[in-house]
Amino acid sequence: MNIFLHELKAYRKSTMIWTLSLVALVVLFLSMFPSFSKDAEEFKKLLEGFPVELRKAIGLSVDSIATLIGFFSYAFLYLKLAGAIQAMNLGTSILSKESREKTADFLLTKPVTRTQVVTSKLLAALVSLVITNIVFIAATFMMASIVAGDDFNKEALFLISISLFFLQLIFMALGIVISVIFPKIKSVISVSLGTVFGFFMLGMISSTTEDEALRYLTPFNYFDSTYITEHASYETSFLVTGALVIIAAVSASYYLYGKKDVHSV
Amino acid sequence: MNVIEINNLTKMYGKARGIEDVSFDVKEGEIFGFIGPNGAGKSTTIRTLLSLIYPTRGSATIFGKDIITAAPEIKKDIGYLPSEVFYYDNMKVMELLKYSASFYKKDCTKRIKELADIMELDLTKKIDDLSLGNKKKVGIVQGLLHEPKLIILDEPTSGLDPLMQQKFFDLLEKENKKGATILFSSHILSEVQRLCDRVGIIKDGRIVTVEKISTLKENTYKKFKIESKSLIDKNLFDIEGVNQLEQDGGTISFLFRGNINSIMKNIAEIEIANLWVEEPDLEEIFMHYYEKEE
Repeated sequence: MNIFLHELKAYRKSTMIWTLSLVALVVLFLSMFPSFSKDAEEFKKLLEGFPVELRKAIGLSVDSIATLIGFFSYAFLYLKLAGAIQAMNLGTSILSKESREKTADFLLTKPVTRTQVVTSKLLAALVSLVITNIVFIAATFMMASIVAGDDFNKEALFLISISLFFLQLIFMALGIVISVIFPKIKSVISVSLGTVFGFFMLGMISSTTEDEALRYLTPFNYFDSTYITEHASYETSFLVTGALVIIAAVSASYYLYGKKDVHSV
Repeated sequence: MNVIEINNLTKMYGKARGIEDVSFDVKEGEIFGFIGPNGAGKSTTIRTLLSLIYPTRGSATIFGKDIITAAPEIKKDIGYLPSEVFYYDNMKVMELLKYSASFYKKDCTKRIKELADIMELDLTKKIDDLSLGNKKKVGIVQGLLHEPKLIILDEPTSGLDPLMQQKFFDLLEKENKKGATILFSSHILSEVQRLCDRVGIIKDGRIVTVEKISTLKENTYKKFKIESKSLIDKNLFDIEGVNQLEQDGGTISFLFRGNINSIMKNIAEIEIANLWVEEPDLEEIFMHYYEKEE
């Protein structure tokens, strides 16, 4: 419990900054919706002039862009990018910062098991993400009612916006396992930015092709807004894949962290 | 009773040597010095005992319990001070100590104040702003605040000024009198000489000898230096136990091990101008162990 609280406190600032940034992003995007929807037909014509691959890559769907959900889905691609960076940062740093700041000796000579250390830190990271998402979803709904009144698909909006949380879980798990496999990470931000942008690019490429198999390679494409809007649910196969990735990464982290030698500086 | 028992503990870093077949015991209530030059394997041994690293072969117990399987339980009663202390920078000293105390299920606030008083440590400062020596003090308080039964110190004195070092040693002696067992690693022998009951000497990853400090001194050479007005007959010293005989005009010097009476009889035959008989300090004994091996 004490490690959990300590970690939570240590991440207070960064959680606050990331949460505020996500909120600012969603406010900014959605505040453009009224003026956009007013001239929707014009925009549609303009957008149709774009090559179809480009539209797919940046998540634009001409049919639905004029609706709030469609517009939000488009903006959501970039919210996902930011959210993924936050989660990856958190995951990568939470165990590796002990060796980077050389505090591992302090923590691991205390009467705790390494499993307890990992669990406490995981929970602290999880709570940080939960807080971020609660605030983010609240802000999204508030903005949505401001710009669209009551005229939008609430279920779809909720399912889409909370998929940010699932995406973050995947990236956090990836971050943790990377930090355990490569314990000598000098700079968390370069590792997490690199990984997240890599997957983001892959996501764009996979969006332009209709190849289903490619979608499995990047968590960015696990939660498809169009599908969610139409079916009011997620695609089971991708949910399962996401869950498996998380379980595998977290179990591997427990196992590796429990076995590894903690070297002095 | 043995607080620490180490049996053929071996740690390899890939093919590189960490420690090989290290075995020794530390008895309850003693101060055990663990001596060796840098890179001999002192830290490796200590880090293995604390299960920060895992042994390649061999085993060890602390309080009769296995160091790996019972690690969290053992650590309740261990206080550890590493050679270099690093703490969460954005915390205040008191916050850190309270965090440290929160791992032990007892109230340590009074003890923290007491220790901080003795070590003259400002509890309200940020750890960031502390000097190396002051960080070391945080480490000392942190290691002792839960009144551990076993105190493990890895090169503990670096960064402390002589005055603080003295206070720290007094503190250790007090803890020892209260019943704490201490494992003290160092490459500075004079520290160990003052404090320890027994020493283990480690070299190139292997234990060279484990001895009582007193025995270590008894079993060693005495240094003789004799000055005479006339030339000394070298043959007087051609007896068993004499080593490194050197003659320089009227002075003669040698190392002697054996019955002191036999050598004194021979010396009595000389017209002596001056005579020195010296105990070698531990440093020299230590060097002796090292040279012997080479």
